[in-house]
Amino acid sequence: MSAITTLARQPSGGVNARIVNRIVIYGLLALFALFYLMPLFVMLVTSFKTMDEIQNGNMLALPQAPTFEPWIKAWSEVCSGLTCVGMKGYFWNSIKMVVPAVIISTLLGALNGYVLTKWRFRGATLVFGLMLFACFIPFQSVLLPMATVLGSFGRFGVKLQNATGFTFGFGNPTVNLVFVHVVYGIGFTTLFFRNYYETFPNELVKAAQIDGASFFQIFRRIMLPNSLPIIVVTVIYQFTNIWNDFLFASAYAGSGDVMPMTVALNNVVNTSTGVVEYNVNMAAAMIAALPTLLVYVLAGRYFVRGLMAGAVKG
Amino acid sequence: MAFLEINGLKKRFGQVEILKGIDVELEKGGFLVLVGPSGCGKSTLLNTIAGLETITSGEIRVEGRAINDLHPSKRDIAMVFQSYALYPNMTVAGNISFGMEMRGVPAAERQQAIDKVAKVLQIGHLLQRKPSQLSGGQRQRVAMGRALVRDPKLFLFDEPLSNLDAKLRVDMRIEIKRLHATTGTTIVYVTHDQIEAMTLATKIAVMRDGEVQQFGTPAEIYNNPTNLFVADFMGSPAMNLIPATIGTNGNALSVVLQREAREPISLPMANAPAGLSAFQGKPIIFGVRPEALTDPEGAERNASNIATADCFIEVVEPAGSDTFAVTNLGGKGVVARLRADANIQPGTNTPLAFNLTKAVFFDPATENRIL
Repeated sequence: MSAITTLARQPSGGVNARIVNRIVIYGLLALFALFYLMPLFVMLVTSFKTMDEIQNGNMLALPQAPTFEPWIKAWSEVCSGLTCVGMKGYFWNSIKMVVPAVIISTLLGALNGYVLTKWRFRGATLVFGLMLFACFIPFQSVLLPMATVLGSFGRFGVKLQNATGFTFGFGNPTVNLVFVHVVYGIGFTTLFFRNYYETFPNELVKAAQIDGASFFQIFRRIMLPNSLPIIVVTVIYQFTNIWNDFLFASAYAGSGDVMPMTVALNNVVNTSTGVVEYNVNMAAAMIAALPTLLVYVLAGRYFVRGLMAGAVKG
Repeated sequence: MAFLEINGLKKRFGQVEILKGIDVELEKGGFLVLVGPSGCGKSTLLNTIAGLETITSGEIRVEGRAINDLHPSKRDIAMVFQSYALYPNMTVAGNISFGMEMRGVPAAERQQAIDKVAKVLQIGHLLQRKPSQLSGGQRQRVAMGRALVRDPKLFLFDEPLSNLDAKLRVDMRIEIKRLHATTGTTIVYVTHDQIEAMTLATKIAVMRDGEVQQFGTPAEIYNNPTNLFVADFMGSPAMNLIPATIGTNGNALSVVLQREAREPISLPMANAPAGLSAFQGKPIIFGVRPEALTDPEGAERNASNIATADCFIEVVEPAGSDTFAVTNLGGKGVVARLRADANIQPGTNTPLAFNLTKAVFFDPATENRIL
């Protein structure tokens, strides 16, 4: 009897409790979103202000007389160390490094995942375990051995230069960074693709085999076209990581006009001469952050979906 | 020489022997069904024929040529998978022509072949769709189209109907049979459904635990099962397998069936199988199919050996086309198949006719048929 009365009473109390719950949940979400967006807001607002306004005004206030001057200066005039040519060169340095590194590491990860799940060989699990281990190696422990490897690449490049008149990219700092990021990224990309392909039906591969498709034809015609979600995840993950990397960039391409964006930005902000131009610094930082933002906006909705798809089994 | 010959085929995964020496053969244009419970090795056997699994020893020959070391694409086979395995990123036309594309067939020729197959399977209007836009039955057709278009020596079907609902399954079963009749192709077909096996096959191999239990025509398998497993597995409702003893009735042997709380039934055997006399006074398994156990009026007129006995009817199941009656003999529920309009009431003693010409006997120790 008592059970029935509680059941009957529940709706009215339940509705109230649910509304309170909703308010608490959305209130907290809004609060944290606000908290999270605050720095971005300050950066954006500051980057459109003049120096006078920054020095005399409120940090959170909207710009009185919005100006693109800081952005233009950050793009083409700002000083990084002693060279004052703006961020644009470094921006392209980063692009030249990130795009090949992302493409190569993603393709290699896909190929590894394909082999590890569809062409199982003796010891495949061990190989996968070792590749997984690569995800846990701290950046710092790789620095010195990698420097040695890159040094020998450089010497080989000099030899090639002497013999053929061309280095084939050996010793080029951008190529070096691409190499480092590909090697470091393979562990992660393999993990993503391996878990995704684990749930990929084997019968499709068998059918393609009977249809006479070769190893690479199956990869290109069957596996890759059906991997969009995980490709998006991998590209976003790799793009953000490599674009934002500072340690490898400063260690192996930390000076001169080969610096990637992150190192150059650091130099711009750390310049100790004259007035600190907050508006220009903020604009430079925004320029440095834009590509990753753009990647998220364009491909973000696949991100969670793809992460889940890979995560369910594996 | 048979069209498809499999000799002494063994397959081992590590220490586990999945296939323990398979010998089957199939004539050209035949329809071989591999049937058995899950885990009996029937799909593995099909995969070895396709070349998707290697074999440990033995030989697979098609038209006298050993194919066991050839790549799947070189074996001149086509396969229809349980999950259809349609490439999700390609259209129906793309799916059907993928194999030809891989073999470098020119585009015009491919189009011709697609059109021809689409006409046979009536999927012309679906050619530009993606597999995700098709229903189960349509996917099934496309999967068959992909196999048909290759015009292979051998078709392999791996439980192609098990993902369809009951009605569609019957339709597609008939369609496969029609396809087989009109194209005259040679088919190896895996299923765990004994009705599919009976209706489609020209030859059935009943498998269990990696061994062929019996290999023969559907009629042989149905009427002359070689052991208890085959007898029990094939047929629906299953054959009644009743513990019994062999007694004597004058000169003739008789089958004695125990009844609950009543004297046993004794069925005189007119033409007992030769081996049966050795079992006098010993336990045997008496096998009789439900249709061989019926009301006296419905019994086969020209059967030479019919014995009638009163049985206590526990349950009556009218199924529309037939009426099934359940009685208890030898401590087991026994199903009799009666005419739909048979006058029978549960809870009464009713005479049932045993068609003993159709009866089979098994040795309970070895589970093999007594000849």
